[in-house]
Amino acid sequence: MEINDGDEDEFGFSRNYFLAKDMAASGKKSSHKLSDINLVDEQELRAEASNVEPKHEKEIESLMESYKSLYSKWVFELRCGFGLLMYGFGSKKALIEDFASTALTEYSVVVINGYLQSINIKQVVITLAELLRDQLKSKRRTPSRNLSKAQQPFNTRSMDDLLAFLDGSQVEENDGVVCVVIHNIDGPGLRDSETQQYLAQIASCSHIRIVASIDHVNAPLLWDKKMVHTQFNWCWYHVPTFAPYKVEGMFFPLILAHGGSAQSAKTAAIVLQSLTPNAQSVFKILAEHQLSHPDEEGMPIDNLYTVSRERFLVSSQVTLNSHLTEFKDHDLVKTRRHSDGQDCLYIPLASEALEKLLADMNQ
Amino acid sequence: MAPSATPIDSSPSSTSTSVDNNLQPFFVLHKASSGKSERKSTGSAKTRRRIDLSPSLQMNAKKLEATRVEECGDDDCYVNLRVEAFEIVWSKIESTIKNVLRDVNTNVFNEIHRWVCQSFNTIMSSRTIAFHEATQAFPIIADASSKQLFTGLVLTKNMEFVDDLLTFEELGLHLRSQGCRVANLSSLDFTAKSGINGCLRSLLRQFLMASLDAADISILASWYREEGNYGNPVVVIVEDIERCCGSVMSDFILMLSEWVFKVPVILIMGVATTLDASRNILPSDVLQHLNPCKFTLGTPTERMDAVIEAVLVKPCSGFSVSHKVALFMRNYFARQDGTLTSFIRALKIACVQHFSMEPLSFILGGISSEQNEQVIQDGLLLQIVLKHAFDLPSYVRNKTGEHNGEIFTHGLSEMKKLQKHWGIVVLCLYEAGKYDKIRLLDLLCEALDPELHNFRTSDTLTKIEEDPCPFSSNYRYHQQYLRKGGFIGRALRKVRDLPIVQLCKLLQRWEELTVDVIKIHEKLKELSPVLKSENDKSSKEDMTNISKRQASRSQLYMEDTKAVYEKATILMECMVRDYMQPIESIPLHEVFCFKNVEKLQSALIGDPRRRIQVDLLESHIILRCRCCSGSGNTLLPTMHDTSIMYNLAQEHGDLINLHDWYQSFKSTVLCPRRKRKKKSKQSPSKKRKILTEPENLSEAAIQARFCRAVTELQITGLIRMPTKRRPDFVQRVAFEL
Repeated sequence: MEINDGDEDEFGFSRNYFLAKDMAASGKKSSHKLSDINLVDEQELRAEASNVEPKHEKEIESLMESYKSLYSKWVFELRCGFGLLMYGFGSKKALIEDFASTALTEYSVVVINGYLQSINIKQVVITLAELLRDQLKSKRRTPSRNLSKAQQPFNTRSMDDLLAFLDGSQVEENDGVVCVVIHNIDGPGLRDSETQQYLAQIASCSHIRIVASIDHVNAPLLWDKKMVHTQFNWCWYHVPTFAPYKVEGMFFPLILAHGGSAQSAKTAAIVLQSLTPNAQSVFKILAEHQLSHPDEEGMPIDNLYTVSRERFLVSSQVTLNSHLTEFKDHDLVKTRRHSDGQDCLYIPLASEALEKLLADMNQ
Repeated sequence: MAPSATPIDSSPSSTSTSVDNNLQPFFVLHKASSGKSERKSTGSAKTRRRIDLSPSLQMNAKKLEATRVEECGDDDCYVNLRVEAFEIVWSKIESTIKNVLRDVNTNVFNEIHRWVCQSFNTIMSSRTIAFHEATQAFPIIADASSKQLFTGLVLTKNMEFVDDLLTFEELGLHLRSQGCRVANLSSLDFTAKSGINGCLRSLLRQFLMASLDAADISILASWYREEGNYGNPVVVIVEDIERCCGSVMSDFILMLSEWVFKVPVILIMGVATTLDASRNILPSDVLQHLNPCKFTLGTPTERMDAVIEAVLVKPCSGFSVSHKVALFMRNYFARQDGTLTSFIRALKIACVQHFSMEPLSFILGGISSEQNEQVIQDGLLLQIVLKHAFDLPSYVRNKTGEHNGEIFTHGLSEMKKLQKHWGIVVLCLYEAGKYDKIRLLDLLCEALDPELHNFRTSDTLTKIEEDPCPFSSNYRYHQQYLRKGGFIGRALRKVRDLPIVQLCKLLQRWEELTVDVIKIHEKLKELSPVLKSENDKSSKEDMTNISKRQASRSQLYMEDTKAVYEKATILMECMVRDYMQPIESIPLHEVFCFKNVEKLQSALIGDPRRRIQVDLLESHIILRCRCCSGSGNTLLPTMHDTSIMYNLAQEHGDLINLHDWYQSFKSTVLCPRRKRKKKSKQSPSKKRKILTEPENLSEAAIQARFCRAVTELQITGLIRMPTKRRPDFVQRVAFEL
């Protein structure tokens, strides 16, 4: 009987999928354009977005309150060596941090904000190792064998060494356990498989306990069976909060702002960080040009090439083009036709934003 | 345009530090508060002492406990005790599982070890190196035929490599204990990204116990010349070659074969599919260097049955699961995952759920540490125990009268006895079922069913056979039970169908199993002499030709054997009826038996894909607000914005036109009912705003809410953003539940 249930589920799913496909194909695909909406100015939109009136505040609060009764159970499971994985709609940041700061006071807690764009996992591990060392030291019985190694500062050690330190044998049950809270373990900064492998290795260390949250419906696809069954060892908890994703949604572009293609200086900075110093310098030339000639259409490619070559940033047109392709792919730079027919490059950012970006880059 | 640079939200209420923290990739929330943890740790140290307590220490321990009771609150104590009990019980289960798996693999491991020694001798006999050659930092030149690498291909017979992680770890330990130098490599060491360097570094790390920046095989060669290493075989175990990067793997093999004279490496590779796997991954010139040998591990089913037998059927830790939980775990194993690892994990979660919810579960810790009922006689916990124990439904149902410690202790020992009997009968059934390829897991599920047991003991079974009344419900139930091929029924029937020789073996097995239950044992003994003679006869008959004279004898013989079969079957039925009492029908079972399937399921299998969609589609149910419930299917403007949006999205195909979506969102939000509803619900301060809303709920505000809802849907991964090709559409990713 249960088998039939499962089949029906699956059948239902595929049927829904094809129905949806069908609707799109046969139905007159709506030809309305986004531009038909009377879009308000981006600035106004952002201002409004930042103070959207919250709904159901009271209910959300009582929902959060109801989860507090689970705290003791969560601590129990953490103590027994499980990891906690929270899911359900709504930001769980406040919930988990409240849990950590009220119920986990006897452990050190490190919070990782997975919703940010880039996270240096090695730095995290170094911090964890330092916390653990301090904790073990204060527990009078400092394992003597660690002393020799401790002389070497953590930040020069390899990842394997650090993980081995975190996975050291446990003296007493609760001593030397560091809790790691990971908001959005499926977030953009942690989503790649290498990072997930590291997180899994961290989770399997004897001195570490993990409390994490996921928001993406397909998050479990990040993990293979080894990670799920032997490393993370999750206990799942469905805790919808319906709290707004304020911080988590910070770096997502507003869909109605310039049709969703607008780039903020923040995201531009993040993209630039990942480029080579030479590419950054080429971008800088362009930015400086744009700032000093605000009225012009943009910088002709030839000019950019000459200047970049003079400064030994590029050796040939080919290298410059590869940089430019990179910029264009990330919408950092756009081209438009100059009045005299020449192709010009410009950065689609306002001058204040551009100035701030330059200042950030120079730091 | 400056605001575009700042995040769309900066909530005014939050302090600047928390905003800072929100933008930090990571930060330390707080450090361990030393005071409290100190107290806790002393507490747990004391309880630990109690658990380990030896008779001489008892007085002391009692004193300690008295202080401890004063010291910490009721619940606090419990929790510590239960955490400890969990650790004791689980470590017991875990070590049992490890032992069982090791036993399953012992033969293969020994076989592999013999082969390793043999191969090593072959390598050593063909190599004679002068000292100056040995110390050079390059390989010795030899002809191709002698650059062979002995390779053991271990067929795991299991696509799921997780189940074999432990096997290879154990194999490593086994070989190490026999004097080999062993390194375990996994597919993570053979990635195209880190190349040959990755696996070499991992190899050096494991052999030299140091991480080196410059990984070089010559270091390994000089390590091997060191005292203590020289003369021992070097074994490299690669867990799963199918998941390794082929090119790195072949480089690795070529390198090892070049150096095989200096470092006599013997490779062991886990193969999940067939022997062809190595041919698919490695080019032929690399394959030339391998000198393969095949080994086969036990199947997952065998291991599964062995684990269940040791953990859930034989007395192990005292922890047990109910019929429903067992059914769930069986289905989870069969449909969800199919790995032993996942089954063990399910068991562990069941275990932790039990200890976190059942207040009396700490008793298990004492019982499984061979202390028996010592714990409760210690006085300390007696009140606690009594307070809870006599409220247990199973106790209330079965007993009334005095509540004291003795009754409780008696209950516990009775429980232990019954459990033991149950286990023995299940094993006997399993022995019979083996001839019919019945799996222990299935048998276990049926043996745990309290209703079937009630049915069996209610005597209807015999009555039905005498006087079948086809209309009674019991009869139907019985029929259904038999027809559906109840596993117990099948096992019983198999007893009748066995050839005499096998029956003889089976009875012998039963005798071994039932040594501790005198009544059954004796009955079996009565049977066995009859059977012995039968057996002798039959073997004699095999040898002599069947003549006419013997035909009459064999007639007699037939009748005799018939009687034996009948007796054996009846005996087994009696055992099932009288001794196989499932744990759920024994008083006080709540202490030992985990029953809450829902809790187990929700903790074990998160289902974000479905649950998050349900959250959105039925937000008012979860929020339990008055304003939105009772609306049926109509969308109310008071609902959560994202919930409205997702409900609206259901009306679209796989592509959603942004313009249409926005318009329908807008009309929902501006729905005239809103004003009335809101007026009655909202506080006066907000009222002012709402009253002026029709004009004031500006286009900008609606658009902002729309944007935010889209962003939230994007975070949940339920929609994909517009592409350049389709700038006016978002794509739906999930289609209903």
